[in-house]
Amino acid sequence: MRLLMTASQIRGLPVVTVHGGEDMAEVRDVIYSPESGRLVGVTLNKRGFFAGRSRDVLSAEAIHAVGQHAVMVIDESSIVAPEDAPEDVRHPATERDVLGDDVLTEGGSSLGKVVDLVLLVGSSGEVVGYQIDKTGGGRGYIPLPAQLSVSGDALVVPNITEEFIQDDLVGLGASVDEFRSRLGLS
Amino acid sequence: MGVVGWLILVAIVVVIAVVAFLVIRRRRRGGGVFATRDRR
Repeated sequence: MRLLMTASQIRGLPVVTVHGGEDMAEVRDVIYSPESGRLVGVTLNKRGFFAGRSRDVLSAEAIHAVGQHAVMVIDESSIVAPEDAPEDVRHPATERDVLGDDVLTEGGSSLGKVVDLVLLVGSSGEVVGYQIDKTGGGRGYIPLPAQLSVSGDALVVPNITEEFIQDDLVGLGASVDEFRSRLGLS
Repeated sequence: MGVVGWLILVAIVVVIAVVAFLVIRRRRRGGGVFATRDRR
């Protein structure tokens, strides 16, 4: 059983240091690599109601854990200037919004459109599923393999994904391990 | 309207402009979920 949360829930979370508990910033954009099934980093807002965007960014390697109430980093040095961050984090590809992308099986069936990413709580940004607007109507959750094929604007998933569409996050959390073992991934 | 009246008017306009600027900046804080550029 895995504890899960969505990328929308991460946006706006405080970034807090493990050493010292200092509240340093809050999450603005979430940058995701569909190929590796992981976050590559986040951009930040300064803290405070009227505070604006921060120039500094946070790479996924520097994330200690993504929790339900905060994104934890080791210390202040985890947040770096844009020049020291990967290109995709320094200049997010805002034209490549994942939300709204089609999800297609390898057999060519459309499962729906991505509404949100689902992440493993406590990890450093492992994406284990998508929340989708199902083609037939309604919302659902699908598990993902550790790595994904990507084709143009569509996210391509294995054919058996269709059997694992869940109605809620709890169901998704219970199905991820079985899904990956069926694919021979764990 | 005298000089004091004009000063009050200018002060009100400045306050409105500053508040509007801060509110707009606050509204721009919302981010997104973006894919990396290697996805082709």
